[in-house]
Amino acid sequence: MEEQVEMVGKAFVDHYYHLFDNNRTELVSLYQPTSMLTFEGQRIQGVDDISAKLNQLPFDQCRHVISTVDSQPSAFAGGVVVFVSGCLQLHGEEHPLRFSQMFHLIPTGQGSYFVQNDMFRLNYG
Amino acid sequence: MDSDAVAKAFVEHYYSTFDANRAALANLYQDASMLTFEGHKIMGSQNIVAKLTALPFHQCQHLITTVDSQPSGPAGGMLVFVSGNLQLSGEQHPLRFSQMFHLMPTPQGSFYVLNDIFRLNYA
Repeated sequence: MEEQVEMVGKAFVDHYYHLFDNNRTELVSLYQPTSMLTFEGQRIQGVDDISAKLNQLPFDQCRHVISTVDSQPSAFAGGVVVFVSGCLQLHGEEHPLRFSQMFHLIPTGQGSYFVQNDMFRLNYG
Repeated sequence: MDSDAVAKAFVEHYYSTFDANRAALANLYQDASMLTFEGHKIMGSQNIVAKLTALPFHQCQHLITTVDSQPSGPAGGMLVFVSGNLQLSGEQHPLRFSQMFHLMPTPQGSFYVLNDIFRLNYA
């Protein structure tokens, strides 16, 4: 059971950051009206506002390089909490930014997951 | 629900307990609780407290930089995302860390930690 949760977490993380780095407008497919994002302390709710925030971040190209992914079942039927750390390389910037992010994933019922809770923080040195 | 106020109160209580009397953390976990500590998975209050009290330092101080929180769903749970520094007694440089908690309400009106994930942030 534990192994499965780790697989779900890693598969989700791969998919999420691949979309973020290659087709950011498609991230909207991973959120629903009840979804919440806290991005560097700013709270945003719902698909439209989350999508607007992510698409308006002040960089066009970026690459997430993931260092760690930890997952646990969250006690909601099939829910998974995922904790990520890594680096964010912005195009044209010399040094990558370190970040941590947590997701609370809920099954959609069609075999995939959506992001119910999302919190992102840069890790300053 | 002002989850931020509750989250900050919990975080202060958790880390002051950790720093003063690590064994007392047992009150904040239950049998179903899960901790992943630097990738090492531990289940249940007894095993979790055993792990935390066996960490290779006697004295430490957590200095919290950021606390973010969100309600986790209809059961009244709360997700808390923390970053900060961990100063170990005798060490020159503090360690940077991030930690997430998933808190669930108890019938007595407080919270226990259902999910706990801790990672050091290396430069």
